[in-house]
Amino acid sequence: MEDKKEFKIDNIEMLPEIANALLSFAGNNKVVIFNGDLGAGKTTFIKEICRALGVNEVVSSPTFSLVNQYDGEQSMIYHFDFYRLKNEMEAFDMGYEEYFFSGNYCFVEWPSKIPNLLPGQYTEVIIAEVDNGSRQFQFIQHKK
Amino acid sequence: MPVILGIESSCDETSASVCVDGHILSNVIANQTVHEAFGGVVPELASRVHQQNIIPAVHKAIIDAKVSKKDINAVAFTRGPGLLGSLLVGTSFAKSFALGLNIPLIDVNHMQAHILAHFIDDPKPKFPFLCLTVSGGHTQIVKVNDYFDMELIGQTTDDAAGEAFDKAAKMLGLPYPGGPLIDKYAKLGNPKAYQFPEPQIPGLDFSFSGLKTAFLYFVRDKQKVNPSFLEEHMADVCASIQHRIVTVLINKVKKAVKETGIDQVAIAGGVSANSGLRDALLEAEKKWKWKVFIPKFEYCTDNAAMIAIAGYHKYLKGEFVGQEVSPLARWSV
Repeated sequence: MEDKKEFKIDNIEMLPEIANALLSFAGNNKVVIFNGDLGAGKTTFIKEICRALGVNEVVSSPTFSLVNQYDGEQSMIYHFDFYRLKNEMEAFDMGYEEYFFSGNYCFVEWPSKIPNLLPGQYTEVIIAEVDNGSRQFQFIQHKK
Repeated sequence: MPVILGIESSCDETSASVCVDGHILSNVIANQTVHEAFGGVVPELASRVHQQNIIPAVHKAIIDAKVSKKDINAVAFTRGPGLLGSLLVGTSFAKSFALGLNIPLIDVNHMQAHILAHFIDDPKPKFPFLCLTVSGGHTQIVKVNDYFDMELIGQTTDDAAGEAFDKAAKMLGLPYPGGPLIDKYAKLGNPKAYQFPEPQIPGLDFSFSGLKTAFLYFVRDKQKVNPSFLEEHMADVCASIQHRIVTVLINKVKKAVKETGIDQVAIAGGVSANSGLRDALLEAEKKWKWKVFIPKFEYCTDNAAMIAIAGYHKYLKGEFVGQEVSPLARWSV
């Protein structure tokens, strides 16, 4: 299995393809963290991945609610946004373990707020804007 | 004269309220004063901390209302939507309280309760009416046919309106949550100074994600040319982005009014505190002859008074739930 993959797209219509590529890259490492600046397209990409997993309902930003859950075709999907957490203790306060160790997909925005709480194995996605509107995607497998 | 205890714990706030015959006698949101009788400090966020807040909040709500526990006829609680861990605390508490006093239990939908907050004070809207619920987590247009007969006719497909404010603030270097700060600067600026695109979303749904990106590029490009652009133009930038977010909201409501033929418009949720939105609604009231309803601010943000009033109307209908009830993280209006 490859540990790293890279894509560049200059058209949002290519996003479904990238979403499928991520799902096969992640395999059983279902905790996926998303890094990228505000406006890079983290939520937009997660919407596309959820669509690929058969989610029919609206996938919206969980910045305020901290976690959204959706029904996929095979299983439940948890979508986190830790943007407004002040410290890791607050992740404990919301019971993050219940979700992370559930075996369901966990898509995590702003994981930098919980550096010590990530599981032993996880998949990282880095989204960066390159030359005016194009996006570069990096997928990385992390194993402790 | 039914006496209802309302409990809210769906997200950050732990709140308790006592409603007597449809009148709110207390509405306590956990903060330092709530803990005075018990000692300890008030924690800031989410579920396990509701455990620390709930008894002090209920205790104070009962004392403030000058009632006694045995006067209470039913307990209403937020069953969802919200964070499961947070909802569990309020649900478990409400169940034990009801069991202990041998009184009925009433489950309340948090999003319906935001709308039913309009039935706390006069003037009250008449059915049917439209409600725009705007907060950090929600942006919805709901057609309200009756107390518990509501149709979701529009919602955000990505970010909520309150979040659009907070994220724009972040790009301007303002602290989270920056929405109220944008409002503050906006009062001093020109709303027409800069133009931002209106999202082209069909129907009555909303999208703020594209606007967020457009705003990000705007700030970045301006700063490239003039590094002190923001310091020099903060008021105009805030006024312009606020104007755009507000017009997105108002234009969709206008469309909803046209499509449904209903011209009573209510707002709910924390963003109803935004002065740009309030002014725009009052202007619409004059210009298009809408009848606009804006509740008191303490009933706009998350609070238990709205849960108590919703519980009161369910009590009148005799709609109770059994002890087997469990919370729902997702529950449509």
